[in-house]
Amino acid sequence: MRPLRILLALVAFSITTTAAAFAAAELLETGSSLVYPLMNLWVPVYTKAHDVKITTQATGSGTGISQAVAGVAQIGASDAFMSDSQLAQGKMLNIPLAISAQQVNYNIPGLNDVHLNFSGPVLAGIYDGSIHFWDDAKIKSINSQYGSKLPHEAIIPIRRSDGSGDTFIFTQYLSASAPSWKSGPGYGTTVNWPAVSNSVGANGNAGMIQACQGAKFSIAYIGVSYIDQTNQAGLGYAALENAAGKFVLPTEPNILAAAGAKDKETPKDERISLIFAPGANSYPIINYEYAIVHPKQKDAATATEVKNFLSWALTSGQDKTYLDKVHFIALPASIANLSKAQVAEIGS
Amino acid sequence: MAVAALSGAEQRRSRIAPLDVALRYGTTVMAFVTATIVFLVAIFLIIYAFPAIAFNGFGIFTHLEWNLGNQYGSGVEHRGGFIGAPGASFGAVVFVVGTVVSSALAMAIATPLAILVAVAMHYRVPRRLKTPVNTLVELMAGVPSVVYGLWGVGVLVPWISNSVGPFLAAHFSALSFIGSGAGSGNGLLASSFILAVMVFPIMAATMRDVISTFPQIVFEGAIGLGATPWQSVTTMVLPAIRTQMFAAAMLALGRALGETMAVLMVCGSALNQVPNSIFAPINTIAAVIVSQLDSALTDPTGMAERSLAELALILFAITLSVNLVARLIMRGSDRVKRTA
Repeated sequence: MRPLRILLALVAFSITTTAAAFAAAELLETGSSLVYPLMNLWVPVYTKAHDVKITTQATGSGTGISQAVAGVAQIGASDAFMSDSQLAQGKMLNIPLAISAQQVNYNIPGLNDVHLNFSGPVLAGIYDGSIHFWDDAKIKSINSQYGSKLPHEAIIPIRRSDGSGDTFIFTQYLSASAPSWKSGPGYGTTVNWPAVSNSVGANGNAGMIQACQGAKFSIAYIGVSYIDQTNQAGLGYAALENAAGKFVLPTEPNILAAAGAKDKETPKDERISLIFAPGANSYPIINYEYAIVHPKQKDAATATEVKNFLSWALTSGQDKTYLDKVHFIALPASIANLSKAQVAEIGS
Repeated sequence: MAVAALSGAEQRRSRIAPLDVALRYGTTVMAFVTATIVFLVAIFLIIYAFPAIAFNGFGIFTHLEWNLGNQYGSGVEHRGGFIGAPGASFGAVVFVVGTVVSSALAMAIATPLAILVAVAMHYRVPRRLKTPVNTLVELMAGVPSVVYGLWGVGVLVPWISNSVGPFLAAHFSALSFIGSGAGSGNGLLASSFILAVMVFPIMAATMRDVISTFPQIVFEGAIGLGATPWQSVTTMVLPAIRTQMFAAAMLALGRALGETMAVLMVCGSALNQVPNSIFAPINTIAAVIVSQLDSALTDPTGMAERSLAELALILFAITLSVNLVARLIMRGSDRVKRTA
């Protein structure tokens, strides 16, 4: 008799769980580890008011894109937009949800509380090994006020070892501002890094902070969402040279200035690099954080749930209470409208 | 009474017989399953990696460069009947060198220590302390690798960067492979050290078991004839069991070659360069598969992912050949022993 009872219990259990599954639609969001903290602020608030279950995962932008293409995830989060050749295999929507920026950090004892100046060509020189010491003339010439303080120590350039949207936007900045980088390694979520004997790879933004903090005389590129952690680690962050030749810090007005300079250029499919935007105050390394969504969802109910959630993210979700916590900037109204138009294209 | 007992035994036998048959067939099937799984893994890897094998050709063993190619350009590159992104080049040299060199250095650090500890555990530790010491060593073997990795990131790497590197640079500046300064501390030495710490307990525990098979009476006889403990161990015990000791070391080497997480955390993830000093960043096959997979997934031609599978196949081949070579050496020495 006992096996029968267990069987009955199993049947009853599966009936109740399937019933529960029918009651609330389930969405899976996966991808960028930069978007993940924002999703974890959005999702609990949204699901409290709506009858839907949303699972969030930080797996990396590449996984986000490939799982959205495969239909495993309804929303793939990515720091980088998809390339033409990726889209040639099937249309995908690249929907910006917020604006992010990147800081260039360094660990030079005595100089971490000031903001050194860097230009694209100098950073390209550091990462291709042609600039080897901190007191190199090229670094000194754009940091005249700290010239005597720059030590004769070998620079340790730290890069991401994993595929990363941060590598994508950092190398885009180098490609846009330094011709030698453009014709050399170019840009991508992982690039063909020049062999520099001191350089090390670190895993994830947290790994970048750890490596930069642990290695004196190192330099790293880290998402601005991590600015609280980089400050806590005592790292310095740099003012970067923009297209107008000015050195600017990653402050909110400077990020907004860059976004404003690019919003009219943003095409309908919103796949555009915001790097090296024109304007005296524009911070040069900013990007849209994307939701990668298949225009044809598996059924009408799922499509509706995805549309509802993304529409909410593009309206209520743009509130400072969410974005400030992760140091993202809200989309300008015109860009939010373009995103909403793309959300309307989601069907089944 | 006697009749009843007999029939009871018969009953029992008739109940057990089907189980015996089941056991016989079950174990036969399971023995085949084990062999089949290894075979299937190899077949899967070969099929999965085939486009990369054709695309990369022999170049994977000669090229330093690991380059996914231009993901944002137009056009594709045709090679060997398959397509990759323009400019793609997949070379395994950096990763094969990193895997082999870091494991070899780890073995060089761990093996002498493990032999000493195993000898000490068997002959020197007082009987009352034997169980706690054994348990401790076995506990060390069970610690998850990521824990060693964290210790590496938090303690070992900064120590190499701030103390070991500057010390060696001050005293051995003429020898560039140890005296060039440690940089960030991530690299070959940190990886090998972590690997040594990880494989040492397994090696010590297995070697202790091997030593305990050596007849105690022979050892005591040698002592009785006036040999010192050191002489007995080095001239009698260890030579007699050297094949089994070698097998224990090979077991540990197998683990070192495939170790992923702890190495990934401290290796410095070198790309496009082979190490020129013990502090230089390296990359191992296992580590690069983990760190490059996300980018590989964005390659629309799929060649990056296939090339990672080819790397996995190479690692599989390395581990398999280490095992085979070890087996051959052991069989050879068995035969020598038997004929002698």
